[in-house]
Formats: sequence, structure tokens, C-alpha cells
Amino acid sequence: MKMKKFLTGIMIATMIASMGTGCGNKSSETAADPSTPASESTETPEPTTEQEPNESGFVGLADRTPTTLRVFYKDQLEDVEFTDPIAEKIKELTGVTLEIEHAVGGDEQAIPLMVASGDYPDMIFAKGDTGLLVDAGAIIPLDDYIEEKGDNLKALYGDNLKRLKYSEEDPTIYTVGTYGVNSVSWETDGNMQIQHAILKDQGYPEIKTIYQFEEAIQKYIDKYPQINGQDAIGLCLMGSDWRWLITVGNVASATAGIPDDGEWKIDDETQTAMYKYFDDGVREYMKWLNHMNAIGLLDPESFTHQEDVYYAKLASGRVLGTATPMWGTNDAKKALVGAGMEERTTAPLAVTLSEDIPAATRKNYGFSGGHGIGICESSENKDKAFEFLDWMCTEEAQILINWGIEGEDYYYDENGVRRLTPEKEEMFKTDKDFTKKTGIVKYQYPFPQQGDGAIDSTGNYFTLKNKEQVLSNMTETEKETLAAYGKELWIDFFPTPEELGVSKHGQAWQFNVPADSELGIFNQKSEDYVKQAATQAILGSPENFDTAWDEMLAKFKEMGVESANEEMTRLTQEKIRFWG
Amino acid sequence: MEGVREILVKTNKQVKVQTKMGLSKKLYDQRFLIAMSVPFVIWVIIFKYIPLAGWLMAFQDYKPKLGILGSQWVGLKHFKVLFQEEQFYQALQNTLGMSILAITFGTIFSVGFALLLNELRSLRLKRVVQTISYLPHFVSWVVVANIVGQILSTTGVLNEILMALHIIDSPVNFMSQPNLFWGIVTGSDLWKETGWNAIIYLAAITGIDVQLYEAAKVDGANRWQQIKSITLPCIRGTIIILLIMSIGNLINIGFEKQYLLGNNTVASKSLVLDKYALDYGIGMVRYSYGTAIGMFKSVVGIVLIYIANTLAKKSGEGQLI
Repeated sequence: MKMKKFLTGIMIATMIASMGTGCGNKSSETAADPSTPASESTETPEPTTEQEPNESGFVGLADRTPTTLRVFYKDQLEDVEFTDPIAEKIKELTGVTLEIEHAVGGDEQAIPLMVASGDYPDMIFAKGDTGLLVDAGAIIPLDDYIEEKGDNLKALYGDNLKRLKYSEEDPTIYTVGTYGVNSVSWETDGNMQIQHAILKDQGYPEIKTIYQFEEAIQKYIDKYPQINGQDAIGLCLMGSDWRWLITVGNVASATAGIPDDGEWKIDDETQTAMYKYFDDGVREYMKWLNHMNAIGLLDPESFTHQEDVYYAKLASGRVLGTATPMWGTNDAKKALVGAGMEERTTAPLAVTLSEDIPAATRKNYGFSGGHGIGICESSENKDKAFEFLDWMCTEEAQILINWGIEGEDYYYDENGVRRLTPEKEEMFKTDKDFTKKTGIVKYQYPFPQQGDGAIDSTGNYFTLKNKEQVLSNMTETEKETLAAYGKELWIDFFPTPEELGVSKHGQAWQFNVPADSELGIFNQKSEDYVKQAATQAILGSPENFDTAWDEMLAKFKEMGVESANEEMTRLTQEKIRFWG
Repeated sequence: MEGVREILVKTNKQVKVQTKMGLSKKLYDQRFLIAMSVPFVIWVIIFKYIPLAGWLMAFQDYKPKLGILGSQWVGLKHFKVLFQEEQFYQALQNTLGMSILAITFGTIFSVGFALLLNELRSLRLKRVVQTISYLPHFVSWVVVANIVGQILSTTGVLNEILMALHIIDSPVNFMSQPNLFWGIVTGSDLWKETGWNAIIYLAAITGIDVQLYEAAKVDGANRWQQIKSITLPCIRGTIIILLIMSIGNLINIGFEKQYLLGNNTVASKSLVLDKYALDYGIGMVRYSYGTAIGMFKSVVGIVLIYIANTLAKKSGEGQLI
């Protein structure tokens, strides 16, 4: 019954959409007319440049009429409230109140439904669904705005501005932002992670391959079968939902030394793309997981437990090895530190299949530009929205959203170095609600942002993730482990970006692939299938693994993997040509 | 005799006249009733009939930008794709399988539970049991899925019990067995809904004339015989009507249970039509494809309802249409 109602709802929605498109077309035509935004802006002359800073040192926007801008984040899972001190400051300086919306539980249908109903917010961060909005004429071209009054945007993106362009066929800028420009990283998530306690117990052994990783865990679990009164878990993954791609699929390719291109292995030299599960390295990693399962080191619930159960396991300190990026485990880490179990947090390692394979984890992908925030055609506050985006690119805004408010959140020491105040620094290390409470880095993603490593006019780094800050944020245990290995930072374990070279095509998962194209359908089908078939192969008995894996590959061929490879190759070549 | 015939003729005439001038008079007589039902008829037209126009999308390559009038017509393309899709048949099989299990066991358990409750001597106990047993109905599936997941996990209660009883040697990961999935869904559904569904049967049982039972007692029928010969036949109509209604919805089982209880390992057994339509239709902006699936479901639903209704008619008991 519920479904029936639901379907009816959708039908109504589409009906309304189709009725509305009559006039919708007209307005999108006018938007496509390049003169329109210009004429609009001449009507309301905006002195966007050269304004005197007020007594607090901020310039802000000239026009501070209170405006509420609705922003939709595709990948946001928690409510973001625009009430913290930084939000207040933004409101004061620009008049803008952000109303951040998101779909419940990372729902994939949110944007297609939005397109069907024609009910858009003011700004939208659509990630992979950007193409959908472009096709529907839902987001406006920003080129003229940028030309007219986007000085700050131009300054932030510099040469990378061309990478914001949609495609070779349609070289228009629809979205700006997301992921830093000029990014250098002093941090890494590692391919896989292992508890500090293990490393310490075993005298800091060399762990460069998955087999050494296994040995260390096996030894430790034999010695200490229980942690805090509960059975220790060797390797725990989160493979019951879409996170399978993160903790299983991506780890497989990372250990095989393949740079992160989503589900693809792309060779910049030959400019060809291959569906990554056909790679022998990926196969070897999966076979190893199968072996880990057979000897009881892999948590059998890795593929069935819910996300909260997974986090609870991590926070209990009994998980010895994981394969999840920090953004997935940071809360657990903070909980462990807060509970005084620092040695149970994990060290990110450059683990690969063999010592000959360099981990491509620190690969420099350049600025990919594919995903970003766009302004909706239907918005009544398009000018304001653009001015806001442009203001977000200013130095004062970047420092505000990254560091907070001077005196309260940060200060300049005697050498002119910007630092978090001691209390905020302590809070940053131990309070998992740090961002929620203070607003620091809350509005950084997915807006235009300076990358980690970019330097402002005072000679300080724009973001908190600079070397100084990374060092001072390390726990004692981390420092101890690093010192034992004779390294300063975790990234020192990995091959440097210089050794790995810069990607010419950005990252393939940011390509705009239309969802209803043949490639889009293949992606969805194969993703659904691989999550299931590869998992079954892993959980099956070791002697059946090869048969199961071959069966899976055969099935991909049936689904048309060859033409998908070709299409992906074509897109890669197009990107390289377009950016070249 | 003639007098009688005259009267008969007269009444016949009267009847004819009544039906002739009847419509307007009838309408007039029932004006209040009609006025009361008009809003609902309008509601049905707006929300149930007008949206049917959206079915046109199934025969187009629908693009929101172009609208229904501007999109390209492609005939049966989407249906052809649909009927060649392996996953579609998998989804159909799972949908029908889990539905039939739910209807069969759901009915048996609810009726059985209602009968048992009805036999309780203590009215107080009956009320308490009834309240407790229908409470799970109000618990969200999200919570239920978590509880079930915990109970069935390798370190869960069920494994502990089975191990303690030496039925199994090592823990079984129930949630990763594709073949158990239908059972797990049906089981959790039973736990959640049996008490709630029993209410309607209990109400039907309450409506049975007490004299029947008294007469049976006088004839020396024991409780079992009373259930078999009085209670069950008396609620047969209710059971059949509810069955027909649920058969009509056989194919519309929603996907929340399957989505929440399922995981990647059991995906081949947990994919249901509604989820398929969402993921491969709307989720991929293939509005037309999604509509084609919806249409297929509606047609199957109507066919099923007619079959069930015909069967009910044959059994001579409570048909719906």
C-alpha cells in the first residue's frame, strides 16, 4: 500500500513537472542567453570590489540584506545547523543565512526526484548527479557571473578555472568548488590500518605487505585473544551497504597500487581504462580476504553488520586491523582517545600486495573540478548566491571558515604563526563534536576552498591541515610509533607525489557520466553485482574462490564490460585533451 | 385470483414507473448522501485517475526538460528491455515468494492467535496479552532490523542458545545465508504484525452470536469442537475478504523490510520489485523505465485480484467486487 502511494506521488510529481516545463523552458532559454546575467547585474550595480574593512578587520559584502539561501548537499548525512559562532559571523558579514538540506540516509533518489518535481533549492551540491541538473536546465551557467564580478573566484582558481568547465562539448562552468585548489597533504589514511598496540608489542616490525599485516595480527591475537574482556577481532570491514566500495573495493585496488579512479584502472600513458576487477592485483587481494576469512581473522559480520554496530566495534578497541579512511573512523578514534585507550587507535600503513608495488595513495590528481556547487535556475536570489560564493573565496572568508574567529578560536604567536588556542586544540583532539560546536571547517566542503598547503597573505596556511597543525594534533602514541620507525609524519611511509606523477585526467569518479546512458546502467548493474558476488567469493571456501571469481568476471562480460571499458577510455581521452 | 393478478400488474407498473422517474427522484432523495460522497469521488479522481496519464511516460524516452508532450515516443522499448532483464525476474520471484509466505503465515498465525486469545478465560489477561502483542506493530522497521540483526549475529542470542544446546558446533552467520533470507523476513514480519492483524479477527469473533455456543454446549461440544464448527465458519467471510485484499497487494510489498534486513551477501534474495524500480528507474533518471515497472505491477495486481475474487465467488463466500 505504501509503495502504491509512493508511486502515485511520483507520478503526480512528474505530471506537475511536465506541466511546469512549458514555462520552465522559457526561463532556461533566457538564462542561456549570455546577455541576461550581465544586464541583471547592471540593474543593481554592486560595488563588489575595494571596500574598507570595518573595525573588526572584515570587509564582507556591500549588500548585507538578510537573505536565506537553501543549499542541498547530496552526500550530507547529518543535519547541519547554521547557528555556531562562525555562522553568526557569516550572517553578519554577508547577510546570508544558509539553510542546509540533505536527503535522509544519503538517498540516491533525492536529486532525480527533485528534477521530476521541479522543486529546487537556491544552491545545490549534486556530485555525480550534476549532469542530470545540466540536462534539465536546472542550474545556471556561471561564466558571465565570473567574468562580471567573480574576481575572488578567479583569484582562487587561477589556471584551474578551465578545469571547472563541464565538458568538451559544453565548455560552460556550471559548478564551482569542492576539494582544495593547490592541495598538498601532510596526512594520509593509509591503505589499511593497524593498532598501535600491536606495533609496540612486536617491537615495531616492518609492515609493507598485506601478508606482513596478517602475520602481525595473527601473532597478536594468539598472544592476546581478548581485549577488555571481549574477543579480539582481526580485521573488521564495513561491507554490508554502499560502504563496501570504500572498505573492500577501494582497498583492493589501493593495495594493488592502482590510483583511486573509483571502479576503474586508468593508465595515463596509454590513455586506456579498464574495469578494475579484471586486474590481477585486485583478485589477489580478494583472495587474501578469502584466506583471512577461512583462518578466522576476518570478522564474519563484516558484510552483515549495520554501520552503528561497526562503529561500536571500532570504539570498543577490540578491532586490530581496519581498512577505512579516517573520515569513516575519526569518531571512533576520538572516542578511544577520550576513554584513555590511545594505544587502541590505528596507524595508517602503506600496505600493498608486495614490496615491489608502490602505494599510489599520495598520488596528486590535480584539481579535478568535476563536482561542485551550482546555483539553481529557479532561485530568486541568484545574484546574492553568486556574490556569496565569490565572497567565500576571499581570504577573510577562507580563514574564517578554516580557523574560526581571531581571539576566540585562534591567535598569532610571537612569530606571526597562526595557531588554535590551547583549549580549542584540546577540544579538537578529544571532542568528536568539535566541528558541530565551533563551526570550524564546517563550511569548507563543498564550497570553493583553498587546498591544504595554500598560503595566505600573512604567510600562514589557509587550512588546519598544515604540517604544524598535523604534528600538534598527533596523539602521544602516534608520535611514539613514528619515532620508533624514524619518521616524522605518516605520509613519510608512502612514495611521494613527485615519484608518482600528476594525473592527467583528474579522477575518473568525477567524470560526468549520464545515469541513464549505457555506461551508467553498466555501472549500476555491475556495482550491485560485484558487491554481492565478490562478497560471496570472499566468504566461500578457499578452494572455490577462483571458480567464483572467474564466474563473476564472465558475468561482467555478459553485462557489456568491454563496451564500458571503451566508453570510459573515450571519456578519459576526452578529459586529457580538454585539459591538456 | 383476478384480484391478485390485478394487484401484481399494478405493482409491476408501479415498479416500472418508479424506475422511470426514479433516477431524478432517487438523486433528489439521496442528495445529502451524494453531497457527502462527492469530495471523496473528486479525491479519487485527482489522486488515483489523473496520475494514470503519467503512464504515457512508459512509452516515451521521457526527459523532464521536454515534458510529456515533447519527449520522444519509443513504443514498447522499455517493456522489451524490462522483460529481458535477468534482475527483473529475480526481483519478481523474490517479491512473489516473500509475499506469498507473508500472506500464508500471516493469516494462519493471526487467526490462530485470535482463536487462542478468545479462549482465554480471564478477560484481564486477554487484554494484557493483546496489548503487548500488538505493540511491536508500532516499532519502526529500522529498530526491528537492528534487533533482528543482533539476535541473529554470530555472537547473538540465537547462536548462544544453539551452541549451549549442542545443536551446532560453531556459530552460524544467519544474516549472510541467502537461503535463509525469506525466512528471516517472514519471521520478523510475523513477530511485528501478528498481534495487530489478530485484532480484526478478534472483532469478528466477538460478533458471533453467543446462543450458538450455548446450543453447542448443550449438545455436549467441547471447546475444540466449538472452535472448529462455530468460530471458524463464522469468521470465514472475514478471512476470505482480508485474503483477497492482501492478494491484490501481493506485488506491492514495499522494500523497507528487505532493504533494512538485507546486505550485500543476500542481495540476490532480497531484491524486490519496488527496490528494483527505485534503483534502476528513478534512481537512474530512467523515469520511463520506472513507470513501465509500475504499470506491469498494476496489471499483475488487477489480474491477481480478479483471480482471488473469482475463487471467493466460487466458494460462495464474501467476494469483494
